[in-house]
This record gives sequence, C-alpha cells and structure tokens, in this order.
Amino acid sequence: MRSLLHRDLTMADPFETLGVEPRFDLDLRALEQRHRDLSKALHPDRYTGAPATERRLSLGRAIDVNEAFRVLRDPIRRAEALLRRAGASVGETAEPAAPPTLLMEMMEAREELSDVARAKDLAGVLRLGAAMSARQATTLARLAQAFDAAAREPEKMSGALPILGELRYVRRFLDEVSALEEELSP
Amino acid sequence: MTLLEIFDPKAAARPVGIDLGTTNSLVARVRDDKPQVIADCNGARLLPSAVHYDARGAVIVGQPALELAAAHPRETIVSVKRFMGRGADDAETKRLGTYDFAAASTPEEAKSVRFKVHDKVVTPVEVSAEILKALRLLAEDELRTVGGVVITVPAYFDDAQRQATKDAGRLAGLDVLRLLNEPTAAALAYGLEKQQNGLFAVYDLGGGTFDVTILLLDNGVFQVKSTGGDSALGGDDMDRALATRFLGEMGAPEGDHGLVRLALDAARQAKHGLTDFETVEIELPIKGGGTKKIVVTRGEFDALIAPIVERTGVACRRALRDAGVQPSELDGVILVGGSTRVPYVRAFVEKVFGKKPLGDINPDEVVALGAAIQADILAGENAHGGEVLLLDVLPLSLGLETMGGVAEKILPRNTTIPAGARQVFTTYADNQTGFDLHIVQGERELAADCRSLARFVLKGIPRMPAGLARLEVTFRVDADGLLSVTAKETTTGVEQHVEVVPSYGLTDEEVETMLLSALDHGEEDFERRRLIEARVEAEQVLAATRKALAADADLLSDEERERVTKAMTDLESAVAGERTAPITTRTEALDDATHAWAGRRMDRAVARAIEGKNLDDIEKEVSDAAGVDAHVEAHASMTRPS
Repeated sequence: MRSLLHRDLTMADPFETLGVEPRFDLDLRALEQRHRDLSKALHPDRYTGAPATERRLSLGRAIDVNEAFRVLRDPIRRAEALLRRAGASVGETAEPAAPPTLLMEMMEAREELSDVARAKDLAGVLRLGAAMSARQATTLARLAQAFDAAAREPEKMSGALPILGELRYVRRFLDEVSALEEELSP
Repeated sequence: MTLLEIFDPKAAARPVGIDLGTTNSLVARVRDDKPQVIADCNGARLLPSAVHYDARGAVIVGQPALELAAAHPRETIVSVKRFMGRGADDAETKRLGTYDFAAASTPEEAKSVRFKVHDKVVTPVEVSAEILKALRLLAEDELRTVGGVVITVPAYFDDAQRQATKDAGRLAGLDVLRLLNEPTAAALAYGLEKQQNGLFAVYDLGGGTFDVTILLLDNGVFQVKSTGGDSALGGDDMDRALATRFLGEMGAPEGDHGLVRLALDAARQAKHGLTDFETVEIELPIKGGGTKKIVVTRGEFDALIAPIVERTGVACRRALRDAGVQPSELDGVILVGGSTRVPYVRAFVEKVFGKKPLGDINPDEVVALGAAIQADILAGENAHGGEVLLLDVLPLSLGLETMGGVAEKILPRNTTIPAGARQVFTTYADNQTGFDLHIVQGERELAADCRSLARFVLKGIPRMPAGLARLEVTFRVDADGLLSVTAKETTTGVEQHVEVVPSYGLTDEEVETMLLSALDHGEEDFERRRLIEARVEAEQVLAATRKALAADADLLSDEERERVTKAMTDLESAVAGERTAPITTRTEALDDATHAWAGRRMDRAVARAIEGKNLDDIEKEVSDAAGVDAHVEAHASMTRPS
C-alpha cells in the first residue's frame, strides 16, 4: 500500500468552519479563542444526555472544528487551503521547481546541520534551528504579502506558489532540527 | 441491601467519578457543589486494587483480598492495571511477579493476558470489573442509585488499554459517560478549587503508570497542550528494585511466589518508611529458617530508584518541547499519585521544572475528585457546567503500515480530540485486488515497533495497474480517545465501507455473554437490567428534548413540533410500562423526530458562540486576559506541521 500525500481531500473549507476571514496573516491568538468558543458550543461533552443522532452530529462537528484549527494554525496547510479556495491545484507537484539559489542555500544549511549532529552538538543544532526560524519569519511575511496581493487581484494567486515551495524546504529543515533536538536532549 | 433498592427507578441516579488505580481505587461524587470521596463503612477512602479468587469460586475485593495475597499469591491479583489491554506475549507478563498465566490456544485468546486462578482463567478486564463492581456497591450504599460514571485512565494509555478500561466498566454494569485522563482530572479538581489561570505541568507517578501533561487553564477551559509518559512505570518498579535486593539477602529460591510476595510487601513498607525517616529496619525470613534484620538508608533507596525516576525526566522534557514551553513559563507544577510522596521524586521534579511543586493537594484523591466533577458536569447537574470545558489530546500517534513496513502517521500525537483525518492510499502492485490495512499506534518509524491495534483486509477491488486505485481511509478518535476507522475504494464505483473497532475491545455480544454468566439469575436479572438501562437512556433523552424545547422551540415548524411532542408522549408512556422493546423503539423514534432540529440548534449554538465577534474583537478580549498571551504566542510560533 502506498500513500498519496493528498490530505483534506474532501474536507470543508476550514475558514468557513471556524467562521474567519480567508486570509493568510491570521491572528493566531484570536484564532485559538475562536476555536475555544466553538468547542464550547459543539464539544461532545455538551451533548452527553442528548439523542444518539445529536451526539453523533456533535462529534462530527467538533472533529471538523478541531481539524480546521489544526489546518489554519499550520502556515503550509493554511496556504494550501487558500489556494484550494481559489480553485488552484494544491501540492508540491503543482508548484514550480525550486530555483538553484534556494537549493544551494538549503544544501549548505543541511551540511552544517549534519556536521553538528555528527558531533552531537545540541547547542549547535539549536543555533542553526534559531537561524532557520528567523528565515522562516521572513518567508512567512513574503507569503502573506503574496496572498494579500492575490486578494486584490486574483490572477496574482500563482505568485504565492514559489514562496510556498520555499516554505516547505524551510519547514523540512526545522522538522529535522526538532528530531535532532529530541535525539540529542538529555 | 436488596436488589429492589439498587434498581429503584424512582431514586434519582447520581453521577460518580472513579479513579481505577494500580494500587488503590476510589469513587467520588459531588455534593453541594463540592467533590468528595465516598468512604466505606469503616471510613476507608482507598480501596486496594486487589482481587482474590477463593477455591469455592467467591471473589473478594480490597483490603481483605490484599491480606490474602501473601498466603495465596497466585489467586490474588494486585496491580492488574499494568496488564490492561496487553497481549499474552507482552513483556509485562515476564517481569518479577507472582502469577501463573494460562497459555493462549487461539489468536483470539492471545489478545489478552490470561491469569490462571484455580481451574479457571480470568482476564485483566474481568479482574478490573470486580474492582469497579466493589466501588459501585460502595457508591450505592451512599447514593442508592449510581448514574453515569467517569472513569479515569493514564493519559498515556494507548487505544487497547482505554478500550479494556471501558469494557471493564460495561462489564461492571456501569454507564460509562467518559474516560478521562488522570492528569486532566487532577487539573480540573485543582483548577476549579483554586480559581487560578495559567500554564501548569501535572506530574503523575502512580503505582504502575507515569504521565506528564502540560496544560493551559483559562477561565474554565482546560486545554491540554501536550502529554507524555510511560504506561509501565511507577511505584511498583521501586518496590521491585528493592525486593530483588531483599530476595538476595533472603537466599530465596527463584520462582517461589510466596516469598516474592513477601519481599514485595517488605519493600513497599520500607519505601513508605523512608518517606519520613532516613533509615528503616526490615525483618526478613531467611533460607533454612530464622529471620534477618536489614537496614535500608534513604541514600541506598535513592540510588536504587534513580534510574526509574530518571526515565520520567525524558518524558517531561519531551512534553515541554511538544508544547513549545520553557520550564520558566510554567505557573505551577501539580503532583499526583502516591509515588510522588517519595522525597527523591519531589526533588527530581523540582530539578526538571525548576520550581517547587505545589504541595497542597492530596495526591491520592485529586484524580477521583476531578472525575466526580466531570461526571457531574456531563450529567448536566453542575452549576459551573456551562463554563467548564476539557480539551484533551491524543497521547500517541495513530497510523497505518505502508510500503516497506513504515508506519505512516495519520493523526500525530498531541492532536486535540475528538479528532479525525483522512488519507488516500493507492496500490503498489499491478492487479492488486485487496488492501491489507494494519492500524498502529506509537512514535516509531516502523510499524513492527509500534503497538498493533487492528488488521483488516478490504477486498473486491477490480484488477488495474498499480497506482490507480484510490483507497480513502478515515480515522476518527472520539472524546474518550478511542479510535474507529473507515475505509473505502473510490475510483471504480465499488465502494466499500469497513467499520473497524480495534481488535482489543470486546464486542457488545461478548460483554452481554460475560454479564449473563456473571449474574446469579441469568436471563431474568439481565432482562431487568436492560429495562433499567433503556429507561435511564429514555429519561435522559426526554430531559434533553424538554430542555431543547424550552430554549429553541422557535426553530421548529408547527408540523415538526407536533411530531416531536407526540414522540415524547409516546416515549413517556412506554417508560411507565415494564417492557424494554417499546422504550427502545420509541427512543429511536424521538431521536428521528428531533434529528433535523438538532442540526439547526447546533447552528444556532455556533452562531451564538461567534456572534458579534469578528476576530479583531476577540483579539482585544484575548489581550485583556493577562498572562495567557505570552503562552499562546510562544505556542503559536512553535506550532509544528501536522
């Protein structure tokens, strides 16, 4: 059995599920509050004595709310949700190939990371992680600008694609940092 | 007490909370808005989790059973929680202990540990059900009728262990409203009493399980950020370490169950003594008669248990990382579980979290108190019910085995529950006509290293080249943390649904059979009980519908309203009767009549929850709630991909 990385294939639009404006630069604290307000209204704990159908309905809707929050909290999946709304095809294969400068930069960063990992240098791993997190912040800001521009002129939506691709590289690097951090931590 | 009283339908059924512990179990209820532990007629609040099976087939539970353990080590099961949801070949069965295990002759039997007691075999679910029954009787002495029950489980329990606990509850004849994670229960009891907001760590070291949970308390919302632990680590391991040393001193032959029990008991006594004293003296029988006095110092004991306690540190640091929280950001550390009385453990916790743990709660009782509060809320009887909400998480990732034996995570650990996710798979071989689905739980890369929960085959896929079939697999985890899986093939028009309940659980039929064989009057009692259960459910549904009518009758058309009212009257008259079938069918009819309306009411509840609040307003509200911002911000920036 082989996995096809198509998540949220038939899921409802997470922006609609949470009742928030479809934009990239969401206020995450406010989003968390909204998630809680909706959970208070829909969580199965609120329907324990209710008829069976109603309990099932609450379970399904609470799952949708939790899943929508999980999608929107994650910048990559949030970007994908925006693209999907715009009718664009979503996933790495739909994005343009990474430019050589980005590939070179990532290759060098990875080499540095494997050097400190081999030396079991946790501080080094954390330092590289912090540098990449800072880089992630600028990538996110550019992605927000691109989606902003596309909100005004929909034909600009494709401008977000290369930045999203870049974000994926950054994210994979940070995932590796987390894994190493766990491995090397006392 | 007579049966009639127990089943008196007119006495209002009261919700209770149960802490089903490794060493001790407790039952608690809420009275006048305060949770309290229910004591037995001797004033004892803790029921030892010990079950003795005597030669005539009688079952003895609690302190008397514990007293029989030394003389009858094989027939007295203690710490049964360690065996819950574990297979017959699990490593847990091979550790220092006093039991005989029955060999499994079928794969079905191998799904569970099986204790050999006299000439019969009992499973951990049945043993736990005996403890739960004893607690139910205890509660009935005080409340007459026990209603819905919340049973706590270690946060780190996997799906099979949770399923086993729920089955034990059903087998004990309890209406299990919810399984609640122990650290969350403790936080609920603690948080409601102290009315304090902030970020807390709960360190829960019991007799056989360890949990650590990081959670945010914010005006009644208890949001778990991360959880970690080890469901086979606890005070028992400290006893074993010390008992191994004692057995050496005693020159005891291996495999003498009676001496092992004696050494374990002596070790426990020494451990308790060392909480208040620097040294303890223990008298042990030695090989060839006579006794020997052994002195144990706290330093020696600390050195013995250090490796055990260190293991909890790994889980603590990981939970902090997963939550994206630094120890300095914590507002408090809550200690739960009897093993946190050990001075070395307290010092260790202080070192890991960099702050003195809160000492003003009883670590033995706080979990049961939290469970009682949650039961009260779920039964709709709590004054604060409207404000309190527990948002818990999945402790271990759930996934499927894919090509090369790799475990593909469908729902990662620390996902808020209830949760659901859908993943699409395809075939890797040409003309493959079936999908082998293997559902696993755990963090390891390879499926073989994870906990296997269930296997099933989806058949009947027409022959086609590799990569064309589309298998959609949906995982759903309910608020108890229990998983169900649906799979369907979508491209060929051949749609198949397979509902999978992980293989460790008992089917409804199995529970029914077990219940039947356990009851003295078999069929008759059983029928009586089904009638009671049907009535309880009908009353609940009627009450919920009345409440809904009072609040949201305007969402019904005249025609619908008539139908609902009629369904209610019909059900009310059925409830007044003595037959189960009409109650069940009319409950379903009412369910049917209220279905569409329920959807509209939920839409209204959602609209109210977000009414007049666009995200900017919420932002202001949030920034007004001092202390919470920083944590949320830190968490948001650390959020990992899911």
